[in-house]
Amino acid sequence: MKHSLAAIACAALLFAGQPAMAKPIAFQNGWTAMAEYGAGTMTEAQSYYAPQYWYSIGGGHLRIDADDGAFSRDISYVRTNALLKRWNLPKAQANIFAFGGLGRAESSDVPGSDTVGQAGLQADYETLRVYVSAKTEFHHATTFDHRIDTLQAGFAPYPHRYDGIATWLIGQARTYTGGIYSGVEGALLLRFFGARRWGSVWFEAGPTFDGKLQSMVMFNF
Amino acid sequence: MLKTLAALTLSLVATLASAEANQSITMQVDGLVCAFCAQGIEKKLGALQASDGVYVNLEHGVVAMGLKPAQDVPDAELKGTLTDAGYTVKSISRSAAPLAEIKKAHAQ
Repeated sequence: MKHSLAAIACAALLFAGQPAMAKPIAFQNGWTAMAEYGAGTMTEAQSYYAPQYWYSIGGGHLRIDADDGAFSRDISYVRTNALLKRWNLPKAQANIFAFGGLGRAESSDVPGSDTVGQAGLQADYETLRVYVSAKTEFHHATTFDHRIDTLQAGFAPYPHRYDGIATWLIGQARTYTGGIYSGVEGALLLRFFGARRWGSVWFEAGPTFDGKLQSMVMFNF
Repeated sequence: MLKTLAALTLSLVATLASAEANQSITMQVDGLVCAFCAQGIEKKLGALQASDGVYVNLEHGVVAMGLKPAQDVPDAELKGTLTDAGYTVKSISRSAAPLAEIKKAHAQ
């Protein structure tokens, strides 16, 4: 199934014609703050500052709860995000991001705390009407390894204006390794975002296929 | 010597007259597809001393900036500003039309 998800992500990106998720870098001298509630399986809060448009530094906290109740895991980390490549096209933009960081983890099934390293890749392609993104994130500690893969694809019913509200319908598929969740966690999301003078707001929410809430809020300023 | 001085004077007068006449700058920009991400453009251009307002049109890939009276911004600075915001400038043009007219034209 993991291989299937990766294959779907690759196919989607190829179909899009160019080498996707909320971006971890806003703009030069911009701050990003985001929080995600991932259907009770993962909950994460992050904040970054971007000295340049191509990198940002910051940190966050990730909470993992295994679907069978076997363990929960709390990871606090510092992280750097880098824009590896951007394609600015006449009616589209595509990006590839990489990120890495270090942190401390505490698991309910292991006594004490452990140093954890994280690394990941994210790719996205978007026009005013189509959006595709794929993200993989790996965590390694001496007591555990896990990976979270997320694929999103969506469309906008209308092309949004800069000073208007953007509306997107997004399908999301997510897999976890390391005994966190078995199968693919699918969700249908409604996304809104808009830019104002003081900053930008992004909000998305919707149900997973097993009836749980998947949601995210993000601010750029 | 006299001819050179006259040419320089004419060139200076032409530049000043042109700067006075131009009320806005319009840029065709690639990669302009997301209001959430393009906010950096408005912040950066809006911070320029010569700036008298910024207009972003995602559908037409257009960024326009109003100019304060008798002020201008060199193309290299505009390109650098947009590049630092993460976008690619394809063309730059100046107009005697005020920013409000540029907005109106692209809104139609």
